[in-house]
Amino acid sequence: MLQRTLPTLVLTACLLGGWEIYCRQSGVSPLILPAPTEVISALIRERSEIGRHAVSTLSVAALGFSLSVSFAVLTSILLHFKPWLRRGLMPLFVTSQTIPLVALAPLMILWFGFGMLPKVLLVVLVTFFPILLSLLSGYRQTPPAFRDLLASMGAGRWTIFRRATLPSARAAFLAGLRISATYAIVATIFAEYAGARRGLGIYILTAKNNFRADLVLSAVVVSATLTLALLGLIRLLDWLSARGPEARGNA
Amino acid sequence: MLEIQNLTLHADGRSLIKDLSLVVPGDGITALIGPSGCGKTSVLKWMAGILPDAFQTHGTALLDGKPISLPHRGLCYQPQSDALFPWLTIAENAAMGLEIAGLPRRIALAQVTALFAPFGLAGCEAQFPAQLSGGMRQRAAFLRTIVQDSRLVLLDEPFSALDAVTRLRMQDWLLSRLSDRPRGVLLVTHDLHEATGIADRILVMAANPGRIIAEIDVPGQPGARTEAILADLRETLKTLLLEQTP
Repeated sequence: MLQRTLPTLVLTACLLGGWEIYCRQSGVSPLILPAPTEVISALIRERSEIGRHAVSTLSVAALGFSLSVSFAVLTSILLHFKPWLRRGLMPLFVTSQTIPLVALAPLMILWFGFGMLPKVLLVVLVTFFPILLSLLSGYRQTPPAFRDLLASMGAGRWTIFRRATLPSARAAFLAGLRISATYAIVATIFAEYAGARRGLGIYILTAKNNFRADLVLSAVVVSATLTLALLGLIRLLDWLSARGPEARGNA
Repeated sequence: MLEIQNLTLHADGRSLIKDLSLVVPGDGITALIGPSGCGKTSVLKWMAGILPDAFQTHGTALLDGKPISLPHRGLCYQPQSDALFPWLTIAENAAMGLEIAGLPRRIALAQVTALFAPFGLAGCEAQFPAQLSGGMRQRAAFLRTIVQDSRLVLLDEPFSALDAVTRLRMQDWLLSRLSDRPRGVLLVTHDLHEATGIADRILVMAANPGRIIAEIDVPGQPGARTEAILADLRETLKTLLLEQTP
């Protein structure tokens, strides 16, 4: 474990050390670039306020991500069994990913107000497609011998899907989850930035307007921590659901 | 006894198999050999009911004289690879056919577990396929096939991925298991040594379109044939196959 994370820890320590030294030696104003220690101090000082906003962001991201995973799984099953629907819907899903968030987020706020709904919808929109695509790709990776064997035993399409196709897509599904998880928090913050009463997005906007770069960066640290926590949760899920020595080794 | 009558397979407007008829007796091994692309595996897949929809098929399958639809519980198929699911234990893999046939999981597992020792797999019940050697994996796959209690077994080059020594051991082991639990076997193989060594009958196919061109009864009991008989037989088969190769 330590061997795997050591290079990342060393590199991070070097970057932060270089940043700290630069801030102290160059005399750059903390309004422009605060040193890492100043960011951490601001984070500790404002922990209660940032914490409240972080909880709001996490609630929206968790709800949006959960809905997104559920929709993606159900849609992938539907598209797997109905190829004509896949051919019809996939271009629309691809097009939906080309809409710039900067255009969509304010429109969502305009249509659905400052509540939770527009933010959850935006998270779903951003995270749904990578999971769906990973699942469909995973289904296609099912070894034909597995399908043939089950079909020769008299298994129907659903039994083949449940016993061979779905488990074969496990690794691809988890890869899609990891990609989407990194987008979930960022999408929520972007939606909050466009308009919200609470959340890290609106906190960052307020801090920026007050020329408090230390608070902006504190919120960034919290956002990164939330994303890493989400990724950690997926890794735990991976480990818990792994079967067989190889899967457990890779988890 | 399985009887195939006038099997014709078309794909992309091309005739792959034409009016193929064959009989697989209810016990003993019938080997199906032929050049690559002659349609051996397609015939086997048709019997197993897993030929892709892209094929247009005509033909009748009779089990003990009665027409059957495919796939059929009486015919059990083992693909070229062992096709053991890596996320299932060996016992779970072996019990899969019984579960799909409707047996409760607990009873299916109990049935297969009782057979692990005779199949040389004692102690492997809770292991995963990746933890087993190639020979043991094939034994586990064969256990999964045999335990389904079908009348006939369709084997698609089951030993082709094994090294020479393991392959010979597995051939002896297969004969021994079949003497414990007699049933008819249709074995698709490329290996003339394998066909002459363990089969009771050999069907020779030709390509373009695929058809049976010879049916040879192998004299003597498998495993007790003299090298002279085997060498003669291999020579005959080689001549037949080379005549088909342009």
